[in-house]
Amino acid sequence: MNAMSRDTALVRITDLHKGYGPNIRVLRGLNIEMKPGERVVVIGPSGGGKSTLLRVVMGLEEIQGGAITFAGQPYISADGRKTRIDTEVRKKIGMVFQHYTLFPHLSVLQNLTLAPCKVVGEPRAKAEERGRAILARFGLEAKADAYPSQLSGGQKQRVAIARALMLDPQLMLFDEVTSALDPELVAEVEQVILNLAAQGMPMMMVTHDMWFARNVASRVIFCAGGVVVEDGPPEQVLGDPKEERTREFIDRVFHIKG
Amino acid sequence: MSLDFSILLKFADALALGLWMTLKLTVLCVVLGSTLGFLIGLARASENALIRVPASVFVEFFRGTPVLIQLFWIFFCLPLILGVELSNLASATIALTLYMGAITSETFRASLRAVGREQMDACTALGLPRRVQITNVILPQAVLLAVPTLLSNCISLFKESALVSAVGMADLMFIGQNISNNTARPVEVLTAVAFLYFVIAFPLTRLVTRVEGRMLRKLAA
Ligand SMILES: Nc1ncnc2c1ncn2[C@@H]1O[C@H](COP(=O)(O)OP(=O)(O)O)[C@@H](O)[C@H]1O
Ligand SMILES: [Mg+2]
Repeated sequence: MNAMSRDTALVRITDLHKGYGPNIRVLRGLNIEMKPGERVVVIGPSGGGKSTLLRVVMGLEEIQGGAITFAGQPYISADGRKTRIDTEVRKKIGMVFQHYTLFPHLSVLQNLTLAPCKVVGEPRAKAEERGRAILARFGLEAKADAYPSQLSGGQKQRVAIARALMLDPQLMLFDEVTSALDPELVAEVEQVILNLAAQGMPMMMVTHDMWFARNVASRVIFCAGGVVVEDGPPEQVLGDPKEERTREFIDRVFHIKG
Repeated sequence: MSLDFSILLKFADALALGLWMTLKLTVLCVVLGSTLGFLIGLARASENALIRVPASVFVEFFRGTPVLIQLFWIFFCLPLILGVELSNLASATIALTLYMGAITSETFRASLRAVGREQMDACTALGLPRRVQITNVILPQAVLLAVPTLLSNCISLFKESALVSAVGMADLMFIGQNISNNTARPVEVLTAVAFLYFVIAFPLTRLVTRVEGRMLRKLAA
């Protein structure tokens, strides 16, 4: 117990095993220690389990082995065939998905206030006031009463970020949040994330945009084959990787980008 | 033999009465049947087999047997089982409500499924309790998604309700047949009856097309 409370990691992932059914093994003994204030960008080949990793950290998946602690507290653990997830800890984490998962039947403002009102029991008027303030910060004040279908992809993704921020998360997860966007809309979403980063929001994200990764990350992790292959500062992992597999991947990605 | 539609004028009141009965029956069964269908749709999505299996049996039974036989069964057997007389309207309402319930439960079930797993992931990521997930996110979307198909279900019921004439209920069809037999003018009378059904159903089918387009655009977020 004493050792736990002295744990300085924000997220500690220990020997994580995760598959889908008996035949698909995705994460095979993955270890990551993320310190407070870090911004971790996870890169790696498609199908390598990056989304799976983020979904596990969000508490959306069952795991087959290992454990995750959050700020020193037990959060997720494999307990025989069952997965234990502390839902109170889970509330401290927010996530934005690749496909904007806004609630299409609710207005932008209602998307933002649903969770604060229903989960924390915040008074509606107060939640709406906070919601409008966040929207204004994101340049979306005029869209408060619009419905998601009336927004561009970039606007939807910014609303999704705003919605997650309403719950004051201590960690944000972003899973390829710009890869479904038209190229001209990518920058506005990345800018919002860069601003959050500048304010010190801890985050773990997956992106294929190496320019963005370099600008936002305080640390880059290259995952392949269900384990961490390389882990270090962005200049090193992206610029001068030690591992041959990382080098190949980076070359390929930059090559495709021209 | 020449056609003479003017004879219809004499029977305008009777036809209006029949139409009124058909509309009354349809509206009753639409309201009761969709409610029943909604509940059965939920039951069929249940994880509890004791709830799910009886609901499925009910649906398969009513979808897999002719409505006409269901009507006969309710009209002639149900009073014997219950030991009470049922009015024609009551019997027809029960029969068509059960049928409508079975049909619309499939509509609701499909729309419940269409609300994707991504929506539930978003709910979980926001820490929404299961009850809020269901009442504030899944059900409203499922109902909205179901609207166009439900409207189609209503139009079908409106037309299929003509079957109640076979068990002696004085709906539009029954009255039309009676007039047709008495006047020996089946072409004029039945054409007029068909026209009445059409005048009600056509705007509704147009509405379905419009609502469908709007729903799809709205929910494609
Ligand atoms: N729900 C699922 N059911 C079965 N297999 C899945 C599921 N989700 C992902 N996978 C598989 O797990 C592997 C890792 O997927 P994913 O985590 O999405 O990779 P990445 O995000 O790195 O591209 C892939 O082979 C994928 O097909
Ligand atoms: Mg992915």
